Amino acid sequence: MLKFFIGRLVQMVILFVVFLSIVWLLLQLMPGDISDTLIGNPDIPMSVRLELKARLGLDQPLLQQYITYITNFFFRFDMGVSFSRFPKDVSAVLLEALPRTLVLFLSSTLFAFWLGFKTGKLIAWRRGGRSEQFLIVSGVFLQTVFYPWFAIVMLWLFGFVFGWFPIGRFITAELWLGAPFEANDIFGRLIWTVVIASVAYGIARIVIGRVAKDLVTRERLAMLLGLLVVAAVVGYWAVNPAAKFAWDIVHHTILPVITLGLVAFGAIMLLTRASMLETLGEDYILTARAKGLPDNVIRDRHAARNAMLPVATSLVLALSFVIGGGIVTETIFSWPGMGLLFLQAINVSDIPLAVGALAITGVLALVGHLVADVLYAVLDPRIRIA
Amino acid sequence: MTLSQLSLEARQVDPSLPLLEVDQLVMHYKIKAGSVSAVDNVTFTLHQGEAIGLVGESGCGKTSVALSLLRLLPQNAQHISGEIRLNGENLLWLSAEEMRQRRWKDIAMVFQGAMNSWNPVYRVGDQIREALDTHYRGVMTYAEQRAHMEKLFAAVGLPADMLDRYPHEFSGGMRQRAVIAMALSCGPQLIIADEPTTALDVIVQDQILKELKRIQADLGMSIVYISHDIAVIAEVTDSLGVMYAGNLVEYGPTADVFARPRHPYAYLLLRSTPSITGPRRKLAPLQGEPPDLLNPPTGCRFHPRCPFATERCAVENPPLEDIGGGHKVACWHWDQVPELEGLQR
Amino acid sequence: MTTTKDQGADHGAATGAVAAGSPASDAFAHQPLWKVRLALWRRSLGKTWGLFRENKMGMFGLGLILLFACMAIAHPILMATVWDPKIYDPVTGYSAVELQFVIVEGEPTDPSTQISLQEARLRLNPTVKVGQTVTIPVQPAPPSLKGPNPHLLGTDPQGRDILSQLLYSTRAAFFLGAVAALTTVLIATTVGSIAAYFGGFIDGSLMRLSDLILLMPLLPVLILVSALFEINMVMLGLMIGVLGGFGGVAIVLKAQALSVKVKSYIDAARVAGGTHWHIVLRHIIPNVLPLSFLYMMFGVTEAIAIEATLSFFGLLNVPMTWGIMINTAQNNGYLLSGTSYWWLLFPAGLAVTFLCFGFFLVGRGMDEVINPRLRAR
Repeated sequence: MLKFFIGRLVQMVILFVVFLSIVWLLLQLMPGDISDTLIGNPDIPMSVRLELKARLGLDQPLLQQYITYITNFFFRFDMGVSFSRFPKDVSAVLLEALPRTLVLFLSSTLFAFWLGFKTGKLIAWRRGGRSEQFLIVSGVFLQTVFYPWFAIVMLWLFGFVFGWFPIGRFITAELWLGAPFEANDIFGRLIWTVVIASVAYGIARIVIGRVAKDLVTRERLAMLLGLLVVAAVVGYWAVNPAAKFAWDIVHHTILPVITLGLVAFGAIMLLTRASMLETLGEDYILTARAKGLPDNVIRDRHAARNAMLPVATSLVLALSFVIGGGIVTETIFSWPGMGLLFLQAINVSDIPLAVGALAITGVLALVGHLVADVLYAVLDPRIRIA
Repeated sequence: MTLSQLSLEARQVDPSLPLLEVDQLVMHYKIKAGSVSAVDNVTFTLHQGEAIGLVGESGCGKTSVALSLLRLLPQNAQHISGEIRLNGENLLWLSAEEMRQRRWKDIAMVFQGAMNSWNPVYRVGDQIREALDTHYRGVMTYAEQRAHMEKLFAAVGLPADMLDRYPHEFSGGMRQRAVIAMALSCGPQLIIADEPTTALDVIVQDQILKELKRIQADLGMSIVYISHDIAVIAEVTDSLGVMYAGNLVEYGPTADVFARPRHPYAYLLLRSTPSITGPRRKLAPLQGEPPDLLNPPTGCRFHPRCPFATERCAVENPPLEDIGGGHKVACWHWDQVPELEGLQR
Repeated sequence: MTTTKDQGADHGAATGAVAAGSPASDAFAHQPLWKVRLALWRRSLGKTWGLFRENKMGMFGLGLILLFACMAIAHPILMATVWDPKIYDPVTGYSAVELQFVIVEGEPTDPSTQISLQEARLRLNPTVKVGQTVTIPVQPAPPSLKGPNPHLLGTDPQGRDILSQLLYSTRAAFFLGAVAALTTVLIATTVGSIAAYFGGFIDGSLMRLSDLILLMPLLPVLILVSALFEINMVMLGLMIGVLGGFGGVAIVLKAQALSVKVKSYIDAARVAGGTHWHIVLRHIIPNVLPLSFLYMMFGVTEAIAIEATLSFFGLLNVPMTWGIMINTAQNNGYLLSGTSYWWLLFPAGLAVTFLCFGFFLVGRGMDEVINPRLRAR
């Protein structure tokens, strides 16, 4: 299995180089030249222009430029200098925005998968009835809804009409005025606590798996552990002096995450339902029933566990949606992540920044594919042991 | 329930005591187009330690009978009338929860297509353990469960370390052996084997059947075999029932039914099967198609295909009557059915 | 070009192959082949339609699509008969709707009938007083049924008729959806069938290409491309079609083609001396086509959503689409206007949603026809 992953990894790196080359090629095909955009800027004095041209390597032959671009990306994580945020490096600008986007992507994907899988499982198990009809129609609606419009309506409804959530942005500026903390620091600490808690939970799950042999005890312990971890994270932040500020960030995060997650939720729910219906027709479900297992055990441990396999593969499909939807979400919610950065860069023709954002997005997509592969292998022993 | 009953030792059997009595069972499937009469008036009795077989072509209701013994029929199945008694207790009157507790502990099942009766994502041992956990919670320790499962695997001729393997690592025959081990795990009095060997090659088929027969004798169990292949079943059963279009048309000691079929369908069915050891005879395929069970034929359901049919057959459904020696036939003209030997050429 | 004609006949052959086993096909024995094919094709179409008709949601989707089709047809007719182009043109029209307001002190409680003193002085003249009723031209104007130029769905912030924009954009959406979906299916069917049938190097390279396209985040790439180049509807449609056709859909259709390839009638065709191209064109592609049509429906949905998103960002070089309507509302500060200016956001947003909804439902309905397992008993 290790061999399979190394092969897959190599394949993906090659794909990524090709992807980067295509993006680079697109730039060359653009009417005019990058240097025109840059050097045409009258704000920059002549001496700086010439220096810049040499520094950016635009006076060199195309092939040389290409090789420089690729090697710089891979070995120095250098994607050039942003035009609009001159003289900041593209990588520095992107790295600042990356965590926010990652949080948005990850939490909405997790939210969508968790809720979508649960609902899809239940409506497939209890087939028929109005609730199933209603959920299917809403699922299809969410899957086909015009996303920018949906985000606007969500923002208007929950931010403006109900006033439950702030209207866009990452923080409330007035609250942070003169605050003893940096927003990015608090955000980073929030991320770290969640990451540490998740890792701790994962390790504890493995330990439980080794110690508790009985499946029922194992599941109960895991649930208890989950509650404990959540309580620990919440408790840590509740007594923290920065609690107010942390809550402000979280408060701003909830609505965009739910909005983006809801749309992916529809697709995941429908897929889980279809997959679950297929699984329920399998012979081993009949065996499980004949064994006299209680209904919820048949549903969760036998049917849902297998129905999860195609759903895990759909992570890749969800990914492309989440990336596209992320740009829209960040625009409408004024969420200062990579998507917003990308669009702003496009609007002011800051090509290096736009390309950089696209390249990072490509990396994200790649990692997502790899995660889906690993997940599938973990879930399916037929792939794991072969 | 104590541990001793789970041990793999012979149960005390009294062949005169009935274990399972199926009494005038009638069962329908509801579909969009109407009601399919899948099982119609089926009656038979299985005694302790006995093995019986139900044969018939596909769609004749034999699997429906098997599934109704465990009450595992699909949602659209309707039980119309009749009783299924296990040790005198009517299973059809039990609540869903009571029935769930009976499954596997009292009646276990070996399904057709062992390939798919294992959940691909769990180890075989864990899937057997799951049954023990459900029916003997707190009775056995983890180590005792393991020891029990190793004994079961030994009984069906599988090495103990295979317990830690996943189903896809087993060959077809091994998987079927493991299925039998799982069926034995909770110490059932009765095993229903639904086409236990259909997907296997002939040699493995023979091994598995012998294994089953030996285990049945060793443990004093009762088995209901379900198959479309009358020859396979004849080797391992004491009694044989022939089903046609939801009816049990002939029932009796296997040797009797096999040698002197009295129902025209059973007769024609056997005549269409070649025999290697018996006398050489001309094979005669059965004419016509099985009836549409949405609108079953009036009277005897076999009469449209029956060479001996008279007007009475189209009007009156013949009852299953004893014609001597426990051999029962549901036919008005059973005495007109020729001897199989008479076909010798 | 004979290819399109060929494919029409191929589809007939496919359904013919399916129906050939039935005894009724003997009745055609003495007719010319094309007539037999046509008859069989019609019969299988009728059967498919019968199955599809049982799917209520699919029929609802079809109804939605037909409704939108009527809207698309209605626009040129209305422009030619009832609507004055100067006022009702979706892009260049202008209509100043004059409304009556009562001047109030401070913030108006009902902005549709009241106006604050400050704003009235700013827009009319400094002499107006509180309590006075004044007539002010407004844009965006709320829906009106009366007057010389009724605007059933009001006007946009630039005084253009919303209904006219809505109807006009329907045609663009259909056009784009058709271009994108046809391109997708044409490419994906060919690629999938060829990759499955020939295998080896051809298969490998085509599938690596699919991997690459799947890896590319579609929307960001299209955003970059439309920012760098001037993109119109046809180009966008072709681009979505090519990316979709070589990407995910090709993989799905290849899997289908593989399952066809192992069927014994392919061996039979090969033994009978059929060339590779004959087998691919006459046997593999026709049997992949039902699934292709299914993906065409989903393709339309995706293309319309992408186009609307890109024009929502104002990146497309097109005069008017649903996305542009929302973009106009957003640019003029009506992003959170919600129900008080509902005609700015809701008609366009719901139009995109429901057209996609319609195509998606039809796709689901077709899925149930193709996969009997999904059908309810």
